[in-house]
Amino acid sequence: MKRETRIALLGLLVPLAILGLWQGAALLQKTPLFPGPAKVTLAIWSNYPVILRELGVTLLRAAMGFGLAAVTMIPLGICLGRVRILGRVLEPLMDMLATLPPPAIIPLVMLFAGTGDWAKVVIIAYAAAVPLLMNTYEASHSIHPMLSRVARSLHLSRIETMRLIDWPSSLPMIATGARLAIASSLLVSVTSEMLLATNGIGTYLQRSQETFKIDAGLAGIAFISLAGILVNAGVLRLEKKWLFWHYRDQRPTE
Amino acid sequence: MTGILTASDVGKSYGNGVARMAIIEGLNLSIAKGEFVSLVGPSGCGKTTLLMCLSGLLAPNVGMVGFKGQTVTAPPIGLSVVFQDYSRSLLPWKTNLDNVLFGMRRVTGMDAPQKKARALEILEAVGLTGFAGHYPWQVSGGMQQRVAIARGIASQSELLLLDEPLAAVDAQTRADMQDLLLDLAKRFDQTCVLVTHDVEEAVYMADRVLVLGPRPTRVVREIVVDLPKPRDQISTREAPAFLRARHEVMELIRSMRQGKALS
Amino acid sequence: MTIGLLAEKFRVPICIALVLGGWQIIFALGVVNEKYFPSILTIASAFWQMLTDGVVISAWATTFLRALIGLIGAALLGVALAILSDLSPVLSRGIRYVSDVLQPIPPAAFVPMAVFMLGLGTKLYAFVIILVTVWPPYLNGVAALAGVGQVQLNTGRMFGLTDWGLLWRVKLPAALPEIFTGIRYAATLSLIAVIVSEMLAGRDGIGFMIFKKAFAMRTPEVFGLMFLVAINGVLLNGLVNLLRRGLTGWHIRMMERPE
Repeated sequence: MKRETRIALLGLLVPLAILGLWQGAALLQKTPLFPGPAKVTLAIWSNYPVILRELGVTLLRAAMGFGLAAVTMIPLGICLGRVRILGRVLEPLMDMLATLPPPAIIPLVMLFAGTGDWAKVVIIAYAAAVPLLMNTYEASHSIHPMLSRVARSLHLSRIETMRLIDWPSSLPMIATGARLAIASSLLVSVTSEMLLATNGIGTYLQRSQETFKIDAGLAGIAFISLAGILVNAGVLRLEKKWLFWHYRDQRPTE
Repeated sequence: MTGILTASDVGKSYGNGVARMAIIEGLNLSIAKGEFVSLVGPSGCGKTTLLMCLSGLLAPNVGMVGFKGQTVTAPPIGLSVVFQDYSRSLLPWKTNLDNVLFGMRRVTGMDAPQKKARALEILEAVGLTGFAGHYPWQVSGGMQQRVAIARGIASQSELLLLDEPLAAVDAQTRADMQDLLLDLAKRFDQTCVLVTHDVEEAVYMADRVLVLGPRPTRVVREIVVDLPKPRDQISTREAPAFLRARHEVMELIRSMRQGKALS
Repeated sequence: MTIGLLAEKFRVPICIALVLGGWQIIFALGVVNEKYFPSILTIASAFWQMLTDGVVISAWATTFLRALIGLIGAALLGVALAILSDLSPVLSRGIRYVSDVLQPIPPAAFVPMAVFMLGLGTKLYAFVIILVTVWPPYLNGVAALAGVGQVQLNTGRMFGLTDWGLLWRVKLPAALPEIFTGIRYAATLSLIAVIVSEMLAGRDGIGFMIFKKAFAMRTPEVFGLMFLVAINGVLLNGLVNLLRRGLTGWHIRMMERPE
């Protein structure tokens, strides 16, 4: 068989070995507080309806937070990129906020807004806002000067230029920001549910710990991972589909 | 001054005081409607900067540029530019055809299907049949340059400024493209100003050749090319008038280069 | 000088002034309840109070050290794994499967389960931090080692380097800049992992402290501590940058060359 496939298959030995070691350690420990992969698989099978329901809540909030960040930060980023002075002066603030991780603002938001849905959505929006704003700003103020020359030579109005030239050419970088923001949204959604427990998969994990159902908790983690993989793969697929012209080969065909 | 494009005492420099770099100084020219004028000069003399000023993309520090009698402050309607940096002047998210159509936004008197037909016609004329649906980055540099030229021609602008449009094209294709440009310019009644470093091309294409001096540049000589049109790649290039003009230009440029080397 | 140039030169102080000024204005307008939006002075004095109590310093040091040591461990482990992966494509693929599964999981999610398996304390922090921060250095390392130009490799071979020598003297130095990009990203992850662990299962550190103060409704202190977290991030990034300049200064200078 092809070398590629052979490596892909042999590579499976690594995770399998890890699973084997894990199972071995679990058997040695002999306590329900240390379940092996077998027990976790059983837990997945018996708990997946609940897990999926809770995961749905988490994903919905993540989407809302991301949406809120997108509609506010993308226009803002474009503005800051265009009005040079404003952008440059506020850059230190953006850099500072970039070093403030989303979990750190959770206690503050809890003070303001309690532990409900809106509190979590605000936290998620903050997490998504940082990469979105920074990437949009970067894209907006680093548009190649040649493009603006082309726009002017084609007699485009200011608005036409922004719509037909600036926007498409900024999209790749904005898309990268969106991809990071989406991953962040998912992450922070789970984290916010763990710290501000009401519902969602994060709360499910906390409850599992409290009721000593470690196998269920690990099952939950497995689903979180799966959701993350699927969402990321989906986003990448969309990116490649709409922005194919950015990921191009430079092969001449003359 | 009359003429569709005029430059009066144009000067362009960067920086101040000791660090001042003068690119253009005291430049005057006038292009009549329907003419085909070539601008040649030693490399680095500021040909591209001049073109930017003539097109309204750059504002001169001194003097003024006029288009159809109006002072140029921004690229005026009726004027199109074919840039030297062709790969960056084509939009990568549009196909070659869409790029050409994009240049036809201001064309009146044609509906969408007619514009498309015209665009395809011009793409065919520049030898890109079958590549209309490709993206610029899918074709070679020479082909991209031809798309850029097609866009300029399709715009049906009264005045077309071309900055070394055939530099990336191979020699055989270049000969075809030269004839094509002349033919299309005549067909669509477009006045052309061609910036080139290729003296033979300059003389072959033009009614007049304006020779630019070294920096700070201005028009140092005007040479009328007394050859009939349509031109022919073989017979025209052997004609005495052609050789005379070519000789004069090359000698002038050489002396400017040597003068610079000696000073 | 025009306004533009002035703004450019003094943008950090101008930015700080705008933020602090804007803050005070919102406070003075009384639009938001003072309980939630204390004046800068209140925050500053509360912060000072915590500092002089000594509480904050030890918490800060604890958190910072955890993040730093975790980062160093993860970086070393990541690079070691990357080197092994460079030598064995099968291992590389295998580890890729593992990283694909583990990377999307937020650090917080590991904490409840890890508490049971590892208890509270250092082992917990080490486990969570490393599980989260090892991937950027590792993935960047693998990509960078694989991407070393053929020309450089051939040059090395011409000087008689064996595969092993090639790895240490050509590939690794060439890969370092990209590895450091991974380490910078890992630094942010490390801080997040520490803070989150402290919030969920900690008994000390800034993360634990922020939550304690929030539950006690002490808003000025919470703001102050948040600021401290940001400073932590800046410090951590600064240290990484320092090391980066030391080890890969050649690359930085190369990249900064004007065209």
